[in-house]
Amino acid sequence: MKIKGFLQDVGGASRVTKARLTAFEDASEKPVADDPIGRVAREWHPGKLELVVDRIYPVSPTAKTVRFVRADGQKLPPFYAGQFISLAFHINGETVTRPYSLSSAPFEARQEKGFVEITVRRSKGDGFIADYVNSELKVGDRLLGNLGLGQFYYEPLRDAKHVMALAGGVGITPFASMAKEIAHGTLDMDLTILYGSVSPDDIILKDQLAGLNCDRVKVVHVLSGADEGWTGERGFLSAELIRKYTKGDTSYFICGPQAMYTFLREEIKKLNVPARRVRFEVFGQAKDITAFPGYPQEKKGETYTLTVRRGIHEDRIPARATESLVVALERANIAIDTACRSGECGFCRTKVLSGDYYVCPENDGRRGADRDFGYVHACAAYPLSDMTIKIPIE
Amino acid sequence: MKFYKDHYDVIVIGGALAGLSSALMLADKGLDVLVLERHNLPGGIATSFVRGGIEIEAALHEMMSIGPAGNRLKVGKFLEDMGVNVDWLKVPEAYHASLPGIEVTLHPGLETFAREVDKEVPGTYDKVLKLLNLCHTVFDSVNELSIHPMSKPLMLLKHEAFVKTAGYSTAEVMNTFDLPQKARDLLAPYWIYVGSGFRDLPFTIFSVLMADYIGYGSYIPRKFSHEMSLKMAERAEAMGVQIEYRQHVEKILVKDGHVYGVRTARGDEIHADYVISAPYPNKVYTSMIEPISEVPAKALKMVNGRRLSLTAFSVIMILDKPAKELNIRDYSIFRGDTMDTDELYRDLAGLGPYRYLTCICHNYGNPDATPEGTCSFSITTLPRVDGWKTVSADEYDAVKHRVAEQMIDDMSRYFGVNLRDHILEIVIETPMTVAHYTGMWNGCIYGYAHTMEDHIVARLQTAEAERFIGGLEFAGAHQISGDGMGPAVTNGRKAAKNVLDDIKAKKEAVK
Repeated sequence: MKIKGFLQDVGGASRVTKARLTAFEDASEKPVADDPIGRVAREWHPGKLELVVDRIYPVSPTAKTVRFVRADGQKLPPFYAGQFISLAFHINGETVTRPYSLSSAPFEARQEKGFVEITVRRSKGDGFIADYVNSELKVGDRLLGNLGLGQFYYEPLRDAKHVMALAGGVGITPFASMAKEIAHGTLDMDLTILYGSVSPDDIILKDQLAGLNCDRVKVVHVLSGADEGWTGERGFLSAELIRKYTKGDTSYFICGPQAMYTFLREEIKKLNVPARRVRFEVFGQAKDITAFPGYPQEKKGETYTLTVRRGIHEDRIPARATESLVVALERANIAIDTACRSGECGFCRTKVLSGDYYVCPENDGRRGADRDFGYVHACAAYPLSDMTIKIPIE
Repeated sequence: MKFYKDHYDVIVIGGALAGLSSALMLADKGLDVLVLERHNLPGGIATSFVRGGIEIEAALHEMMSIGPAGNRLKVGKFLEDMGVNVDWLKVPEAYHASLPGIEVTLHPGLETFAREVDKEVPGTYDKVLKLLNLCHTVFDSVNELSIHPMSKPLMLLKHEAFVKTAGYSTAEVMNTFDLPQKARDLLAPYWIYVGSGFRDLPFTIFSVLMADYIGYGSYIPRKFSHEMSLKMAERAEAMGVQIEYRQHVEKILVKDGHVYGVRTARGDEIHADYVISAPYPNKVYTSMIEPISEVPAKALKMVNGRRLSLTAFSVIMILDKPAKELNIRDYSIFRGDTMDTDELYRDLAGLGPYRYLTCICHNYGNPDATPEGTCSFSITTLPRVDGWKTVSADEYDAVKHRVAEQMIDDMSRYFGVNLRDHILEIVIETPMTVAHYTGMWNGCIYGYAHTMEDHIVARLQTAEAERFIGGLEFAGAHQISGDGMGPAVTNGRKAAKNVLDDIKAKKEAVK
């Protein structure tokens, strides 16, 4: 065979080898550590940041907003309005994380002296972290936060330009972030918020939302326990009420307590809108795992031994059948990375080496092959026997 | 608390396909191996993720070098030999080409392919088949020579086609076939998977690409590339490999020209005789070797003398209708407004609109890829890192959305269906996404560009001289075989082979 001529053809390998060596000889020997693409990735996702509590102020008779700044004085990362922060609290010798939708707007994080805020309501007895934030946390406290997480945000290529937020209780926070960003002119969408509360005292961030003065943001308060003086909407966020405020092509974004999700799933069905127009924020940690279908009721009083492997090290700790593997690890002060605590983000992906477990069906965000090989998201998995697991070394 | 043994034979940095292939091969030979992976799952970009309850492939389009059951090609065979049994599904076609004046779906099999090209461009069957057969001959030689090197005269005798085409670009060899432009265009679509225009792409690489993909077709794992990555990791662990996730290696420790271990971001110093690095040589030689004075000038000249290749930009969507109802009729569609690969390559240095798109609808390879009534559809371009290097954190989101919108609109016009009216889930993967999850240098998934100045044949010739630090090997797209998930496995095996050969040589020296 012949391409150009015998000698030229057979000399090819030597020719290209020489070309390569010449290129190297001619190159500089200066170290060039130039990775701007990696740098932008790290600016958006710096991982856990040390934050300082800068300010705490009430936003309703029952809720407070906590403002954080970055301890090292660097710029906070960008995020999308609606995303959450995972905060790590040290309480009674345990390190526990909780996800909070950021109630501040992205532009507030990126400006001079940038900050992020969360808004937390005092619990009615079921949230020891919420109570801690409301009563113990003080200005100057330092804690680690990982922000810009979660999928609950307006995506212009997917969502309708008009978003109707269906919010309950503290579920107003992601929409407060969106509303502020819209009013600032840096988020191009229209937002109607139907905000369900029991009484006027329960409304969070009421003045802040009212003060936005932006014709692209409309807030409708809906009270289920209003007294006679209330002239606004009454009852729950029913299909009828949603229809009344829907104008044209609309995406529905839902964030609120778990009971509201159950109710709204039925109401949304009545609206007959395509599935792509409905987006629920993650469910949150199950309040009572025994209430889910298929949970073996006979196990609920049990405490098992959980063997935890990290590298070649092994610990044995107790684990209650009604608490997730993450909670058992946190109680034993064994660090595990967590963020959404709803089985979605996969930060707490864990290998089960042996033992039986139950996965919360609302929060099963696993990959198919992971299921096949016994991986769980530890925040959504509950022990049903003695177990051995392997987790990353933190 | 002690999480690691006092000493390992080999530490592998990075639990993606290359690193896991190294680990499998070393464990198979009885070595004590530790794999440190920065993410919390294996595979690097060979992975999947879940959105709205639907699992979505992150990166794999078509896996090469697998081959049918009973007649596996080298990657398929290696995985089987290692006990990694992936549930492979055959991709039904080579590609649908949508090019100026061309709309045709072509299928694998050298003769089938030549016949289908002939139907479009009558009278080309013999020439196209001859070209494909030449590719196949070169491909066979590359595979054999990578295992059994031989002297030059013997090579000329036994591997004439390989030797005689080695010094030429794809364009130079193709020109000798005197094919009409349309036939040349039909042979070109896969070029993007090797990332250089035909004037600069070694014909050797083109041969491997065509013989492998067109000759044998391509495959995907039933449960996305995560199935492959996870099965490799599980098998490695079953063979005694210790894999630790979320461990970010910051330093490779060197003394007197030889590695002795690594240090992680959490401060663990772990010792080993060998280190295999997935991080790019650029990163290793500029910031990871400790002390940095152990880096020879030659190593820096080498990385500075090479050109980074392509990164990836993908718009991945779950659409709320079956594919057919959206006029999506093929597994893969390659669409360009020209098939001048050199021109397209120049274009990839910018930030769009990109003129060459590759689209994948997984449902045609795996009907169960998404829930009933939906389909998965991704649009990908593989830009050079140059343009994306100029984007700041503040501009990033706007650029990302602008490029994604252009790509969706382009394909919407093509299908006559506004895809934006059907998006259930959308994920936009950018070079920054790659950098975020894998730490890959500049998000570059393609290693160094395959060019006439950085030719695979030259890489093979000079490989020994480029092992600058004792006991340090590299495994990733930046190595000899280059980019792609199939070559990643081959690169990983090569690194393991270097370690095994070195151990053997040392043992013999002691004797």
